[in-house]
Amino acid sequence: MGVLRDMFTALKGGANEVGEAIVDANAVRILEQEIRDAENAIGSAKQSLTRMKASEIKLKREIATLNADAADYEKKALAALNAGEEALAAEVAERIAEVESERDEKATEQAALDSEIQKIHAMIKAREKTIAKNKRELDKVRTVQELQKATASVSKNFAATGSSEHRVSKALERVKAKQQGWQDRMEAGEWMTGQEAGDDIDAKLRAKGIGGASGGASDVLARLKAKQAA
Amino acid sequence: MNLDDLAFHLNEHAGEEGTTFDAVVTEDDILEVVCSDNDEFPIHVTRTDTQLLSVTPLFTTEEVPPENLAELNATLLRLSPAVPLSAIGLQGNTYILFGAMALSTRFEVIAHELEVQAENTIEVLETVERLLA
Repeated sequence: MGVLRDMFTALKGGANEVGEAIVDANAVRILEQEIRDAENAIGSAKQSLTRMKASEIKLKREIATLNADAADYEKKALAALNAGEEALAAEVAERIAEVESERDEKATEQAALDSEIQKIHAMIKAREKTIAKNKRELDKVRTVQELQKATASVSKNFAATGSSEHRVSKALERVKAKQQGWQDRMEAGEWMTGQEAGDDIDAKLRAKGIGGASGGASDVLARLKAKQAA
Repeated sequence: MNLDDLAFHLNEHAGEEGTTFDAVVTEDDILEVVCSDNDEFPIHVTRTDTQLLSVTPLFTTEEVPPENLAELNATLLRLSPAVPLSAIGLQGNTYILFGAMALSTRFEVIAHELEVQAENTIEVLETVERLLA
């Protein structure tokens, strides 16, 4: 694996003058194909896993039935023995042996099937890991591709604006000038808000008869009366 | 979120400090984002199967006098860990500032990241300006 190492080793070898990491289209196709193959394999493995699991469940059920049968016959054999029916008990014992041998056969079959199922499970897990790993590798390649695309598209703009002397410094100056203008406008806005708030307070004070210019006719009359008294 | 949706939301968005965005999807399927704080250095957003990549090309190697190249590279390497949310890299012959986000990133986080990237661009360029032609 190690897609990045391959890409950047090619770069170090001077395969590309501008130093672009080389995205091998073929390697990408191979990775994609591997992912698809592994996904298909998992799909069919899961199908057969389902079938096997169904057989295994059926076997388990049959084994349980056979065990119940054997236990049942055992009780009956004991009952026959207790009743002194030796010959009948022997016959039942024979049946028990048959049932038990059938059960053992099925148990062997079930054990084999179970181990097969575990193997397929492990295989699916391993494949899923491979897929996840390949997908991560593929994403690295895609990231390099996308970065190239995004950079190239802006670099064209550099060329369009002319990669002139002090391009960066000039651009920085313009940005800062704009930001300063914005800052100034904000400050102006704050000043304005402050003024409006101040006017508002004066108006409130006047309304309460505090401060402000003239107090109106009543004040004038009071002043005149004061003069007259003097 | 696909790039068209992202463009739509960015154009509607206003950041906490009144930052706004102009976002356009180009014909190359790249989302060009201009942040109101910094309209000289647009951010190009693109995506892979798992991540969103935001790239701001800074300058090309041609803009670096050869005698300054080693100092510039060392400065950028030291600077990169100090820059919040963005990393500095070289793509072809273009120095870039870039960020990477999971595709599942919430819009508000994407917007914040782009805003920070626009700010970072200015800070990084101010730091290395003296080394450029």
